[in-house]
Amino acid sequence: MGNVNTEEVIEKIRIILAEEFEIDINTIQPDANLMQTLELDSLDLVDMVVLVEQNFGFTVTGKDFANIKTFRDFYGFIIERMNAAE
Amino acid sequence: MKYALVTGASKGIGRAVAIQLARDGYYIIINYNSSKVGATKTLDEVQQVGSAGELMKFDVTDAGEVKVAFDGWAQNHAGEYIEVLVNNAGIRKDNLMMWMPEEDWHEVLNISLQGFFNVTQPLLKNMLAKKFGRIVNIASLSGIKGLPGQVNYAAAKGGLIAATKALALEIARKNVTVNAVAPGFISTDMTQGLDEKELSKNIPAGRFGTADEVASLVSFLVSKQASYITGEVISINGGLYT
Repeated sequence: MGNVNTEEVIEKIRIILAEEFEIDINTIQPDANLMQTLELDSLDLVDMVVLVEQNFGFTVTGKDFANIKTFRDFYGFIIERMNAAE
Repeated sequence: MKYALVTGASKGIGRAVAIQLARDGYYIIINYNSSKVGATKTLDEVQQVGSAGELMKFDVTDAGEVKVAFDGWAQNHAGEYIEVLVNNAGIRKDNLMMWMPEEDWHEVLNISLQGFFNVTQPLLKNMLAKKFGRIVNIASLSGIKGLPGQVNYAAAKGGLIAATKALALEIARKNVTVNAVAPGFISTDMTQGLDEKELSKNIPAGRFGTADEVASLVSFLVSKQASYITGEVISINGGLYT
């Protein structure tokens, strides 16, 4: 297990996404579809890549998003990368 | 500061484009591979027209080398990005296909086409994220109609034209335009050795074009005034082929 505070990170992600994509934070639920909820297509993923880089300091590629379907997947991905970096 | 990168900017059309974009107010990143002397001369001329710039050495065919150069630049320019890219690097290795060495086929395609990919892809992210960018690919009349003795060059430039159109469609809504310029006979090192007087008889304008004329077209395509032009191939050939 890593040292990252999971709940804090999840809340930070939710706030960032709600602000960046101008959506109601309550629509960001763990099992909701990430792309559909944020109304993103594959080209818009570039905004997610930049968002992650700016807020979490690591690089994300298009391939990383291949297995991310839900917000839960996204939280898991970010937390895993943060733990790996520690 | 607005940054423009011109590949193969140590001479000819690349140099002329660099100088024109400098006149337009861009800070110019002058890419070269082997001709540092030529690139330095381009930088001198960029400075003479009142702008600034820097040299950036990399071989466009080497994706790793390109990445190192871009990563180094990004480290020194936090929060800034290259908003204009002119993919100009290219060579000719003319020969009838019957006698064309395989390496000449690969070399010409690698520089024009693989080079386009290697340089463009890493710069796309910031252009898309910032929602502004301009990409101009220097193609050729040969890539539109084909010219004998240039099967490799025509394939490279034809591929570049097709890539221009496809990429333009992918990213148009992010306010990033992608266009190609297709020069005919232009007086540069690349056309030295051709019989200019004889060839000019077949050109309706009656002469070869100049690198400055091509540069002026590129200048327009990267301007805000050209925001609604994307995926186009603009010929500049004195009426030789319409």
